[in-house]
Amino acid sequence: MSLLMMSGSGAVYLLAAAGIIGIGVYGLLSADHLLRKLLAMNLLGSGVLLLLVTLASRGGTPDPVSHALVLTGLVVTVSVTAFALALLDRLYRETGEIRIDAASDDPPDPADPADAKP
Amino acid sequence: MTLALDALLALALLALALGAVAGAALFRSIVMFIVFGVVLALAWGRIGAPDLALAEAAIGAGLTGALLLVSYRRLVRTTPRRTPRSRPAARLALPLGLLSAALVLGLGASGFGLEDTTTAGAGTVAVPSTAGQAVLAEMASLPLDNPVTAVLLIFRGYDTLLELTVLLAAYLGARLALGGSPPLSARSAPAALPMVGALLAIVVPLSALVSLHLLHAGSDAPGGAFQGGAVLAAAGVLLVLSGRLRAIGSAPTSQRLLLVLGTLTFLGFALAARLVGAALFTLPGMWAIYLIESALLLSIALTLVLLFAAGGGLAWGRE
Amino acid sequence: MPSHDALALLVLAPLLAACLTVLAPAAWRWLPVVGTLVALPVLLAILTPAVVGGGTLVLALAGHAAPLGIHLRADGLALLMLWLVALSGGAAAVAALRSHPPASPGGGYFWPLWLLLLAGLNALFVSADLFNVYVAIELVSLSAIALIAAGGQADALRAAMRYLLLAMLASLAYLLGVALLYAQHGSLDLYQLAAGVAQAGGGPAATPARAATLTALSLITVALLLKAAVFPLHMWLPQAHAQAPGPVSAVLSALVVKTGVYLLYRLWLWTAAGLDTAAVATLLGGLGAAAVVYGSLAALVQVQIKRVVAYSTVAQLGYLMLVFPLVGDPRAAPGAWMGAGCQLFAHGLAKAGMFLAAAALVHGMGSGRLDRLAGADKSQPISLFAFGLAGVSLMGLPPSGGFLAKWLLLEAAWMQRAWFWMAVLLLGSLLAAAYVYRVLAAAFVTPPAAAPGAAAPAQSSRGRPVPLSMSLPALLLAMASVAMGLWVEPLLEMLAIGPPPSVGPMPALGGRP
Repeated sequence: MSLLMMSGSGAVYLLAAAGIIGIGVYGLLSADHLLRKLLAMNLLGSGVLLLLVTLASRGGTPDPVSHALVLTGLVVTVSVTAFALALLDRLYRETGEIRIDAASDDPPDPADPADAKP
Repeated sequence: MTLALDALLALALLALALGAVAGAALFRSIVMFIVFGVVLALAWGRIGAPDLALAEAAIGAGLTGALLLVSYRRLVRTTPRRTPRSRPAARLALPLGLLSAALVLGLGASGFGLEDTTTAGAGTVAVPSTAGQAVLAEMASLPLDNPVTAVLLIFRGYDTLLELTVLLAAYLGARLALGGSPPLSARSAPAALPMVGALLAIVVPLSALVSLHLLHAGSDAPGGAFQGGAVLAAAGVLLVLSGRLRAIGSAPTSQRLLLVLGTLTFLGFALAARLVGAALFTLPGMWAIYLIESALLLSIALTLVLLFAAGGGLAWGRE
Repeated sequence: MPSHDALALLVLAPLLAACLTVLAPAAWRWLPVVGTLVALPVLLAILTPAVVGGGTLVLALAGHAAPLGIHLRADGLALLMLWLVALSGGAAAVAALRSHPPASPGGGYFWPLWLLLLAGLNALFVSADLFNVYVAIELVSLSAIALIAAGGQADALRAAMRYLLLAMLASLAYLLGVALLYAQHGSLDLYQLAAGVAQAGGGPAATPARAATLTALSLITVALLLKAAVFPLHMWLPQAHAQAPGPVSAVLSALVVKTGVYLLYRLWLWTAAGLDTAAVATLLGGLGAAAVVYGSLAALVQVQIKRVVAYSTVAQLGYLMLVFPLVGDPRAAPGAWMGAGCQLFAHGLAKAGMFLAAAALVHGMGSGRLDRLAGADKSQPISLFAFGLAGVSLMGLPPSGGFLAKWLLLEAAWMQRAWFWMAVLLLGSLLAAAYVYRVLAAAFVTPPAAAPGAAAPAQSSRGRPVPLSMSLPALLLAMASVAMGLWVEPLLEMLAIGPPPSVGPMPALGGRP
């Protein structure tokens, strides 16, 4: 079995990365609260980055390009998360909603309340 | 037995990740996520990526955790008005999660065996010649010793420049989204507690020193502007939490200059290379690298603190 | 200035302008517009002649060739998109000056984000590196979503949040694909990967290399389909594009959503060109056909004008997917390729113009509902004319650019006796005519005279005048999308530079690699 061909610790972290990705997907789909969705998204991101480095370094030597890519990915992730939290804060302040259904199809056009008067 | 240590770390990662998504209390989930980040930092160290270990601990666990916690505090004030509808997506969650994990595992496992048909049982797996190998081959001709810093600044500097603009865009977007008004107030720790002052007196200067060290060490050892900037930002976060720094509506010119200093410095060097006839993004020497990294450190630190404080600028003094 | 510098300058100049705007938001009011429009002379005077005359431009940044460094690359398709950014972005910027003045508090954040958005778009279109594309995608998404949320209304915030979550998920899927491709082939360059992908993917079934490569391609494709809002991953678009401020909607529909399409083209027509892509091509074409039908039908039943235009985007993007099955036949491939390029360009101009016109109409009539547009023909003649003219291009009426695009695609389909795709093209045009007509008809209705003593003032239904800065850019864009059909040689010459391998050289147009 090919897994045994390379160093044991590489295989271990590959397993971990796969598991984290799976847990992240599960968390993303099962979460109701937007903050939980962001948590799951961050986990998913960490899993993907771990996978990137594990796969790129499978020859034994650490691959510096993959390290640099992951570092960039970390900064991008924190940027997007920070922005998402600010958006969440404003959304909560304006509507009181912290649950959003990202997968549903468009709701039918809401009637404009201002147009309701004759 | 290093394999046992790695297995333990991997198990811890999985358990913490599960705790973060499946926990009933949101606060507990966030804390689990922070601990996950710390364990992940250890894992990065084990894989041979100490730069990433530093970055994950400071940015992934530390700053992201702080952001999540402060956001949680702001949101938990009142109960939400809207009641959740039934969600068909939730029923798909478990099968899809398992499927993704299995898919990734299968690919990774097979990917590892990629070259095993060609190796003659040497025990190591040959991989195709990669960008990473090309970088390592070039390292001898560079004044740097840290290949990751070399990739970030020399070989793929353009990516780093764009990444800085993503950070800047996050700050600008957060300001725009918040609409200029201050966020829901998160009560900061009472600033007058004696222990807080003592803690700050020790931690803040130490953090500044550590961040400067990371900056300086980044050229030859693990470290760099990002890790240093994040550590400095952590000190800033402490100051905000304890009330020594507070967010104000708009930033004074000096702070706005600091925000764009990293981008402008890098951009300046990239363009200036053309003036001397070299290719764009060629750096003239170690001094340029130091300058750029210092500017990056300041910009990154300020941007991260401002993202945490959810303000346009910072000012000293109690609220 | 050498043309290679011009290539990088298209990204670096807006970036510089953005930083300077952060430094002094109120002081230099003209800076954002200059930052947006600086691309035009650069493109006109330097880059276009260089590419059309000399073939594809490749710039290795810092002098390091891929896979060590990052390449920037300008071929015909990239140049086309750069032109689209400059024209649509420039016109929308003029309109946005009115709605988001740089001196206002919100404007101080709006304009740097706007410039970063344009810089990110340009960076994406000239990049030849998979990871560089990822960072550019993040920059574009972040800026775009922030601009959508700029107004602060609840609906806009919700739409922005939904778009953000889906965009994050798409980016992660893309990154996972990139991780697999890098691990497999060792390079991040789109063009260098082509050889490795062809070798790995073309081999016998069920080798690990093939599995990894195909999975990576699938992941990236799904991510891009979501970004391009191709049916059935389009759900986020109508709300996001309709709720955004007018100029932002214009840029979103004309440019941001095209990044997904553009990258799909790069992926399947260049990187994966060596694979047997018939099945994927049919699938993508099928999704495109579904998008055309679904989007057009949905646009027919909307009651808000901006929603009509947003669903029209979903439909028109479907046409762009048809290029995949149509380039399968070598005789028809050049025509299909040119048709797709023309559709990209014409739709970008027309849709940006249409959104700007719609925003002007909403501003003037006070409401976006179609039944409130009555009388707009008298009070908003320019905006309505712009809307109609853009609609002409979307419908595909001669001599507009849209007609040219659909004609080329029809011709390519006919050469292959592909009746299904022909039917889709014709049906789409018919439905487009229907939903454009519906909007125009609503506007040409005379508002009922107010009954004596009625509470509703008759004045508001006839609307207030719209400043020229809002309606003129719309008109200019719409006119450009129609005039494009008349003055088409430059466009076709551009498309002949660096066509995809399956299309092959087009010597009749002076094609070069």
